[in-house]
Amino acid sequence: MFSASVSLAQQPDEADQPGLIADDTYQLDPEWQKQMVYYRTTEPPGTIIISTAERHLYLVQPGGRAIRYGIGVGRDGFQWQGLLNIARKAEWPDWVPPPEMIQRQPYLPRFMAGGPGNPLGARAMYLGTTVYRIHGTNRPDTIGTKVSSGCFRLVNSDVMDLYDRVPVGTKVVVRQRPEL
Amino acid sequence: MMRTFRGGLLIGLAVAVAVAAVAVTYDFYDTRTLKRTVRRGEVLCGVNKGLPGFSIPDDKGNWTGFDVDFCRAVASAIFDDPTKAKFIPLDANERFKELQNRKVDILSRNSTWSLSRETDYDLYFPAVAFYDGQGFMLPRSRNIDSALDLNGSKICVQDGTTTVLNLADYFRANNMKYEEKKFGKLEDVVKAYESGQCDTLTADVSQLYALRLNFARPGEHTILPDVISKEPLAPVVRERDDDWMLIVKWTLYAMINAEELGVTSKNIDEALKSKKPDVMRLVGTEGNYGEELGLTKDWAVRIIRHVGNYGEVYDRNVGSESKLKIPRGLNQLWNAGGIQYAPPIR
Repeated sequence: MFSASVSLAQQPDEADQPGLIADDTYQLDPEWQKQMVYYRTTEPPGTIIISTAERHLYLVQPGGRAIRYGIGVGRDGFQWQGLLNIARKAEWPDWVPPPEMIQRQPYLPRFMAGGPGNPLGARAMYLGTTVYRIHGTNRPDTIGTKVSSGCFRLVNSDVMDLYDRVPVGTKVVVRQRPEL
Repeated sequence: MMRTFRGGLLIGLAVAVAVAAVAVTYDFYDTRTLKRTVRRGEVLCGVNKGLPGFSIPDDKGNWTGFDVDFCRAVASAIFDDPTKAKFIPLDANERFKELQNRKVDILSRNSTWSLSRETDYDLYFPAVAFYDGQGFMLPRSRNIDSALDLNGSKICVQDGTTTVLNLADYFRANNMKYEEKKFGKLEDVVKAYESGQCDTLTADVSQLYALRLNFARPGEHTILPDVISKEPLAPVVRERDDDWMLIVKWTLYAMINAEELGVTSKNIDEALKSKKPDVMRLVGTEGNYGEELGLTKDWAVRIIRHVGNYGEVYDRNVGSESKLKIPRGLNQLWNAGGIQYAPPIR
């Protein structure tokens, strides 16, 4: 289930604009801002639940609530569901565009060191052994949209907040609209 | 002999007239709403005169909103045509009487379901369409995310409402202090909050989101997840009209079940080809659930095609695609963080 389009999933989308410095003053719509919400679940506090249909990431809290973050999700055909764990965490991750992507967009850098212009943003949390990750972005305007190749992006301030709250090993449940 | 014959004729005539009269009267006074609705060719919907997100007419008289769409869903189930719903704006104080007097077939008008409302007017609330309740709005900069952190707050509230009483109950129950800033008019409550006279404003959650729309910078205000009172908003029908009540109830449940099964107005044709039993029962490719309701096999398909599933109607009118942007919260499905739960169709 997670092996599909391995090479594609690692590609930050064309909309990512490597090199663009994230606009820290960008104000998200209230809907996509980090917010404590009512959330009833049997999953224990500390679990991450991602709803791709809603474009929200929930970090379950005690007492029937959750911290809700706005996210950007995979384009149609690049969405998936399942249960995984956070396998690794990294600050200001480097970006190595895969060969297929270089072929299609030869102008892309072969390697991009982590930093404010990196499309992966300030933090990355790697999901199991898959190519998918929860990461930041230098394009805050893509939050709430279906743009990625299967990764989940948060604005840098949110991904840093989340990063500090979740340890390696955190359970991540990704939910999609059920299939007919 | 002749007299007897004439007498018989007269009696026969009298009986015939009497039977006809009874038939006409019966037809006129027939209390079965479905039959009257079908004969009339449209559903009469009692709605709020103007509540953004729930029911509001534009300058051309086109109605939109969550409550409006629900009534269109009922019309779709019956007529396969969402335009066969006529909207009759009703005041809060006349709404139940008007329903009782058969001026409308259904009340789809942000009405809170309570025991006395069912018993006082012989009415029935078939199912909860929207779980509302009292909440708190405050500046995001205060960095508070629980109502239990509001101890010592100055609170703006509209006077003469149950809101004031709920507020008192909640703070007493949690052994917290607060200072009330009461105003008769809602607009004065808002003004006081905006000018910083109070730390937080309390009202029903749906109202808080509507108020926030008008602020200069809505993103600077947040609404806490806590809901301190129960305001279950539900459609209303008359008692002792079970067939109609079932149609209204299962129209809502069809919409909720459709969302749970992933059936939307966009993939409804695909859903008709589904081999999943739950989906097949919903769209009528298995069973005769629609006929049992006095409708057609494709009753739910009609609803979903014309109006959409519960989530679509929510998002479009009050949720993410609307101006209000009320989080699903309690109104999320039971298996996705909320309490919206429909019995299965089987």
